[in-house]
Amino acid sequence: MSYKQWNVVLTLASQVLIAGWLIWDAMVAPSAGAPVSAVAAKLLWAGLVMIIISIAAAIGAAIVGSIVTREEFKDERADERDKAIYARSMRNAYFVSSIAGLGALLLIAFGYDPVAAVYALFIGGMLAGAVGSVSQLVYYRIG
Amino acid sequence: MGKGQAQIANTIRTLRFHAGEMTQAALAERVGVTRQTIVAIEQGRYSPSLEVAFRIAKAFGVPLEQVFQYEGDIG
Repeated sequence: MSYKQWNVVLTLASQVLIAGWLIWDAMVAPSAGAPVSAVAAKLLWAGLVMIIISIAAAIGAAIVGSIVTREEFKDERADERDKAIYARSMRNAYFVSSIAGLGALLLIAFGYDPVAAVYALFIGGMLAGAVGSVSQLVYYRIG
Repeated sequence: MGKGQAQIANTIRTLRFHAGEMTQAALAERVGVTRQTIVAIEQGRYSPSLEVAFRIAKAFGVPLEQVFQYEGDIG
């Protein structure tokens, strides 16, 4: 696998990790009735943790990859195929993200707890990212 | 990539052999794409842009139709 594919795998792993933590957190301490600002702040922290994990994973992959392959394992300049795959993956991610946004609006419109809408927005964004990552891996495999 | 990709055959593997067993990495370097892209083109999993197709032909010093052949129906 190329550096780009390893990076996608690690990003996906960090998304799964954070999603797991969020689900565990929601089950242990349900946020129903909690102020929207408190829940939004918690999810912002989750987003920040995800960014830090992604950066650390990318650095770790470069170091471990260099040791394993015994040559510098670095990102190559994206060519036309990389850009086409990224564009197609982003299209899939955008589709999921749009549905999540619509779902959040519907939750509020039908009188559900706004906290649920905040969760829908965040989880929808993470799901969109995961769909984008999986799409990239699939497109790299099948062309 | 996309529709019709399986209908374009190529002779890159043969041309590399006749070019002194040129490596995929060397061809990628000359064409200006990644090695993974050359692998995908060679295996018929990706149809390159016209510009990259011409660059591949130029790297071997042969006409474009000697590298790529369209095998689908027209019309």
